[in-house]
Amino acid sequence: MSLGHLGYALVLVGVAAATFGAVVGLVGGLRRRPATLRWALGATYAFAGAMLAANLVMEVGLLTDDFSIRYVAQVGSIQTPTVYKIVSLWSALEGSILFWGLVLGGYLAAFAWLHRKEDPLYMSVALGVMLSVATFFAFLIAGPANPFEVLPNPPSNGPGPNPLLQNHVLMIVHPPMLYLGYVGMTVPFGVALAGLIKGEIRTSWMGPLRRWTLTAWIFLTIGIVLGGWWAYAVLGWGGYWAWDPVENASFLPWLTATAFIHSTMVQERKRMLKLWTLSLALASFVLTILGTFMTRSGVFNSVHSFTQSDIGPTFLVFIGILLVACISLLAFRGPLLVAEDHIKAPLSRETSILVNNLVFAALTFVVLVGTLHPLIAESLFDKRVSVGAPYFNRLTLPFWVAMLFLMGVGPMLPWGRADGSRFRNQFLVPAGAALLTVGVCVAFGLRGGYALSVFGLAAFVTVITLRELVLPVRARMRDKQESFFKALSGSASRSQRRFGGYIVHLGIVLIAVAVAASSAFVSHTTATLRVGESFELQGHQMTFEGLVRGQEPHREYVAARLQLTPRGGDGQRLLAPRMNYYESSTDPVGTPAVHDTVREDLYVSLLAFDGKSQIASFNAWTFPLVSWIWWSLPILAFGTLIAVWPVRRRKPGKAGTKADGEGGKPEVAPADAPSPTAEQGAA
Amino acid sequence: MKRWWWVIPAGAVAALLLVVLYRAFGTDPRAVPFQLKGQTAPDFEMKVINGEGAMTLESLRGRPVVMNFWASWCGPCAIEHPILEWGARSMGHRVQFVGVVFEDTEANARAWLARHGASFPHLLDERGQVAVDFGASGVPETYFISADGTIVDKHVGPISQMDLVHRVDQLTGG
Amino acid sequence: MHAALITLHLITGLTLGQYAPQRLAGEPLPAEQEARVQALASGLRCAVCQGVAISDSPSSMARAQLERVRELVAEGKSDDEVIDYFVARYGEWVLLEPEVSGVNLLVWAGPLVLVLLGMVVIARQVKGDENAPDEQLPDGAAQPADGPSEADADLARYLEAVRKETDQ
Repeated sequence: MSLGHLGYALVLVGVAAATFGAVVGLVGGLRRRPATLRWALGATYAFAGAMLAANLVMEVGLLTDDFSIRYVAQVGSIQTPTVYKIVSLWSALEGSILFWGLVLGGYLAAFAWLHRKEDPLYMSVALGVMLSVATFFAFLIAGPANPFEVLPNPPSNGPGPNPLLQNHVLMIVHPPMLYLGYVGMTVPFGVALAGLIKGEIRTSWMGPLRRWTLTAWIFLTIGIVLGGWWAYAVLGWGGYWAWDPVENASFLPWLTATAFIHSTMVQERKRMLKLWTLSLALASFVLTILGTFMTRSGVFNSVHSFTQSDIGPTFLVFIGILLVACISLLAFRGPLLVAEDHIKAPLSRETSILVNNLVFAALTFVVLVGTLHPLIAESLFDKRVSVGAPYFNRLTLPFWVAMLFLMGVGPMLPWGRADGSRFRNQFLVPAGAALLTVGVCVAFGLRGGYALSVFGLAAFVTVITLRELVLPVRARMRDKQESFFKALSGSASRSQRRFGGYIVHLGIVLIAVAVAASSAFVSHTTATLRVGESFELQGHQMTFEGLVRGQEPHREYVAARLQLTPRGGDGQRLLAPRMNYYESSTDPVGTPAVHDTVREDLYVSLLAFDGKSQIASFNAWTFPLVSWIWWSLPILAFGTLIAVWPVRRRKPGKAGTKADGEGGKPEVAPADAPSPTAEQGAA
Repeated sequence: MKRWWWVIPAGAVAALLLVVLYRAFGTDPRAVPFQLKGQTAPDFEMKVINGEGAMTLESLRGRPVVMNFWASWCGPCAIEHPILEWGARSMGHRVQFVGVVFEDTEANARAWLARHGASFPHLLDERGQVAVDFGASGVPETYFISADGTIVDKHVGPISQMDLVHRVDQLTGG
Repeated sequence: MHAALITLHLITGLTLGQYAPQRLAGEPLPAEQEARVQALASGLRCAVCQGVAISDSPSSMARAQLERVRELVAEGKSDDEVIDYFVARYGEWVLLEPEVSGVNLLVWAGPLVLVLLGMVVIARQVKGDENAPDEQLPDGAAQPADGPSEADADLARYLEAVRKETDQ
């Protein structure tokens, strides 16, 4: 039996396990047979195991250049460096769906294991839903996107993976992060849909729902930012975000998931927005599937599109089923989820979150409709139109500014009803900081309405967020005579979500400032030089010293040697923007040279060259603060980690009484509840 | 019933989405619209690389023109070239065949023609400006211009022998 | 041995034209006109690229199109005339920002309608009982005032609100 047959057999095991588990889970859960949960759990582990094994088989095939497997023949080559052989698992359509199966298996197994002791009926239904999704993907791997097909006459070598994917190390990290984000949305989808099927979503499930969404959310965030970084470092046109359909596809679930993370607070605290919150969880998943469809079906013209394939129709059917299931369940079960409270004042935390959700909904609408519009116009009105970056920038900018404002105002407002005069008092310092920032910027000669308002609002949000973080710590230090660090960790662990959330906010502020600065205050120049000539941009002096030609195992390149004297004159260095040539592609792929500092990036790409006369054309940009976008990632990850970090269950009893008595996943509620000592300390 | 009102619009939107996505399968997202059909072809003056001097479109007025954009770095162009060679030899008395070298160096284009044959004049579109004037969307691309200088149509991608004959018949009113 | 072959391959590939030659860029116009060129070019879709503006694409077609924009601007054509030149050839498709008319109203007016609708929904959620009793400081409200903290009442009340918030 060849490797291909073994892999295919494992995929079939996966199909069987997923189908069995889906049926058993749904039927058992709905017929109220708690005992069937263990079958659903078993099926989940079996599915995960089969997927893991199938992926390992494919890796063995890739590493041993077994060209009898169709996928290996399609993306492998003997010359490819080992690390790119490993990652070529997800460098083309079939492999990426196989990898999707692995990630899905991992998520489902983790979910099953962590929650195996929960209410068995609810767990059965939730696992049933997730395994239904798994069935679809396993079916896809077994049928329309089968990577294991055995070629009767294997070629002696393959073409190697797509050149763009071998061009930068970030390509090794970016896709798995994105998949972890995409696939992670399956878990909240399963939990939320189970809630709808059962007609109730217990408070005890809101914690896990939020945690799993946050987990997927942070991976998606990392994936999106790394994708931008990759585009910036590889594509050579000086941008990190092009509003390309596939970028938009990853952005859509991010928007709805972010909205969910916020609206869930209103649901937990006020017992309202239940239907809306669940809809957001469902939408995040449906949008990941829609996004995958956009990437894989060949319907969109995009930098990222995989080659045209016939899995499109299969995906379309799946999207249809998902939409019907979600809408009908929301329609039939929705009325059971009644709001138990209402909003009492326009000036309150809950109102600010409602507005936040409106902004996210509007952004989702703009991105979704903008992305689909060319298809809509063509298929319904027979008209060819484009919707590109200028449209998205113009329409989303006001919403980003509004969002930044809300990030400041929201945390300042208390739940329930704000006291007008106190609110005004609290407003003064941050507003002053904002005005001061704008004033300083204007004094330094910076102009531009949007950029300045972003800077001002960034100061506003930062002051408020830091105050919200520090005040409880100070109170603790005073009340309990604790040291700063003890108070900090005490305060952080007592209200993880709040603490982590605000840290994430600070990371987002960093991104906002970096995006505004790098797009509003960019400088650009082009130059065509002979050897010995030089050009200048924003005080950076660059002298062209000639072209060099070189080779690496999988490609060759022509690089221009540019001697850079940075502004100020210190630290001369050599920049080498280059053009890479791959045997499988007639168009060279450029690699820009980036001289990055905290203040700005100097970004130079080789536009063209003439080897005979040693002339070269360059495109050069300076982007202020652009690297802050990537450096915000650790902050975002750290904040999210604090927010999702599981806290040990306290002894049920006195501490737990105030919290939800339902048990469930008690790590959420009681852990964040005040301890009696803290109350006494304050008293 | 108040809670049900949204189901119909939501269902309608979902159905519309599916219809749009379904119908998108038949379309080619890479196709570039072409608006110059039926319009007067923009004039040009380009250097002839396999002959003497320059050529203008004006000077060809009175004869239908088959104008092919190509480049030496374009793989499909090499596949298509023999068909155009054949066309120029067998139908050259009915229509004027013209090659336009897009985004290429003269030396590369000459070398390429030496290998693939040159039965009709080839012109050098030095800075790609003629291609832009004609609303080209890449190479190879073949334009059919009537005797009075109107762009009748264009063919995107390598043309087949049958298509070529058919188009030439159309041009000459055959 | 193999590597040597590849180098040969690259050299011959470049000269025999296996790879698209990277033509040198045109000279930019004087600053003011060049700014117009770049602004116009960033709104026009490159004919061979994938939804990218001609100002952003390194492809040879984009460069030729950018040259054309320069030429038209240098000739003294207005922005509208430059745009019309491209629309006449590639249709509305060439505009990265769709015109505000016809079908495109979906993308321009749609978001506006959604936001207005959302504001109405939120307003209806909020109104109802403006006169409800102030619940901001329920049962525990008296505590901080009695506390040992010497902070002023305002800060104490604020901290209480924070505490209340952290009460999951």
